[in-house]
Amino acid sequence: MTMTPASTEGQGRAAPAADPNPPATEPRDWARSILGNQQFLLLVALGALILYFYSKRSVFLSSGEMANILDDFCSLILLAVGETFVIVSGGIDLSVGSTASFAGVIGAFSMRGMVSHNDSEALVLVVGTIVCAAVGAGVGLVNAALINWLRLVPFVATLATLGAGAGMAIVLSHGIPIGDDTRAIIFSQAKVGPFSWPVFIVIGILVISWLYLHLSRYGRYTFALGSNEFAARAAGINVRRHLVSVYVLSGLLSGLGGMFLYLRLGSGAPTSGAGDELRAIAAVVIGGASLLGGSGRLSGTILGGLILTTVTSGLIISNVNPNWDQVAVAVLIALAAALQALRPGRRRA
Amino acid sequence: MADAPLYEAVGISKSYGHVTALFDVNFSVNPGEIVGLVGDNGAGKSTLIKILSGVHPPDRGKIRLDGVERTWKSPHDAIEAGIETLYQDSGLAPDLTIGSNVFLGREKLKPGILGRLGFLDQKAMERQAAEELKRVGIAVSGSRRTVSDLSGGQRQAVAIGRAIAWARKVIMLDEPTNHLGARQSIEVLSVMRSAKEQGLGVIFISHTLPHVLEVTDRVVVLRLGRVVRDAATSEFDAESLLGTITGLIEAS
Repeated sequence: MTMTPASTEGQGRAAPAADPNPPATEPRDWARSILGNQQFLLLVALGALILYFYSKRSVFLSSGEMANILDDFCSLILLAVGETFVIVSGGIDLSVGSTASFAGVIGAFSMRGMVSHNDSEALVLVVGTIVCAAVGAGVGLVNAALINWLRLVPFVATLATLGAGAGMAIVLSHGIPIGDDTRAIIFSQAKVGPFSWPVFIVIGILVISWLYLHLSRYGRYTFALGSNEFAARAAGINVRRHLVSVYVLSGLLSGLGGMFLYLRLGSGAPTSGAGDELRAIAAVVIGGASLLGGSGRLSGTILGGLILTTVTSGLIISNVNPNWDQVAVAVLIALAAALQALRPGRRRA
Repeated sequence: MADAPLYEAVGISKSYGHVTALFDVNFSVNPGEIVGLVGDNGAGKSTLIKILSGVHPPDRGKIRLDGVERTWKSPHDAIEAGIETLYQDSGLAPDLTIGSNVFLGREKLKPGILGRLGFLDQKAMERQAAEELKRVGIAVSGSRRTVSDLSGGQRQAVAIGRAIAWARKVIMLDEPTNHLGARQSIEVLSVMRSAKEQGLGVIFISHTLPHVLEVTDRVVVLRLGRVVRDAATSEFDAESLLGTITGLIEAS
């Protein structure tokens, strides 16, 4: 257990050094294995929630309702994946929801002309996707510039772009949804096996993101940056460049989230992503990431997103006033944060 | 320039705003030499180390490695040139494993297409990290544990082991025996001696003067940003070294 510089003279292995942190005792190990396995707790919570809502209204497990939950999950999880990278890197991105709205509106403008020309739906959607992704990446670049060069803390920088994005989406669209693309809705609901095809695109993005966050050098640098920025810089990592890439990634995925909202609504609605930053951050925190940076699992974020969308759908089909949903999200964040604070072995802030 | 020092700083000045941290400082280390860098708080020791390790650029002055003038644009440049630094505030990422910390910034990638895509060869890194730490005299068990699970002394051991394992020319240690018990401190000193025997230039910053007197070949004393004494360790005893640091003894 102990690890001290081994003496070259080979002196006293018999007398162990006085270690300020004694080895973990049995009860602590036990607590750690249960509480430390957040993924397991999340799965149990998700299962319990599904059973609860099913027992209240059996329609909850109907294929129509499941499809609803999945659609809801797809547009949320893209924002939450980008948010995971940002939070692991020690930052926060409050702008993801308004970036999705803003990118959706701009994308809808670019698609509206093509729709009226009766261009092929696939081409329209490809162009829209590229525009949404580019707009999102652009917002991410602005975030990175504010943080890196104006030296704003991420909370303030992304709060500013949250306001600017939401405001511009409303100004440009005059507050009304842009486009009336019923073809897109029908097109995007084409099934491949049990799910509509956009679900598979989201699954693909999740797999690639998981691989890169947990198994690649890019992910390693992201964790190092969030864990100890000075150590990352001293180890020769280009911290500024990495920060830029993380915020651009978050913006890009938010832009794609805007495209998914367009597919659901058939239009770019200026408030379609409003409030989604709260849900995205909630998914990440429920998933076990520390807001101090340096820790988190993408699988946790996915489970967190599933729990959130399950609660939202469950409340809707239980005929609860939909405004309670926000309260439920807030309660879930508080619970997850409390669980984190209770978890043993966390370093101090 | 065959007799040039291994690593040398000439006429270094550095100010932060109105505060002059260093003024016209000359400093050098030779291969196989341990140089002690001492001085009171605020004397400029850490500033000098940050300049020598590429964290900050000097306002004026030159840095030479093997007699060749060099400019560090970032710590990365200095690391590439074979200069390792152990910082006073741990340079480890607590959420990463021991192995990941040893390889931080130097990750090994998987062979073939996976490596091209940026995927890590984590197993090879954990294995080599354990070997490297062992080679420089630090016994590790479980290089897959995260650094946050280690005690202060263990973290320091990993940080020193990493620095010595990678250093090819110079190693700078800023207060390496801070937070360590007596026995662990002695072991750190022996690790420094073995680095010296490997022909590295070792720069040792410490407030613990007995350690400095025990392990160094030469001592450089900084006071208020200036070098006030640069002499062989044999010319000092505990009293005269303390007197030089505090300014009670006026050096030439």
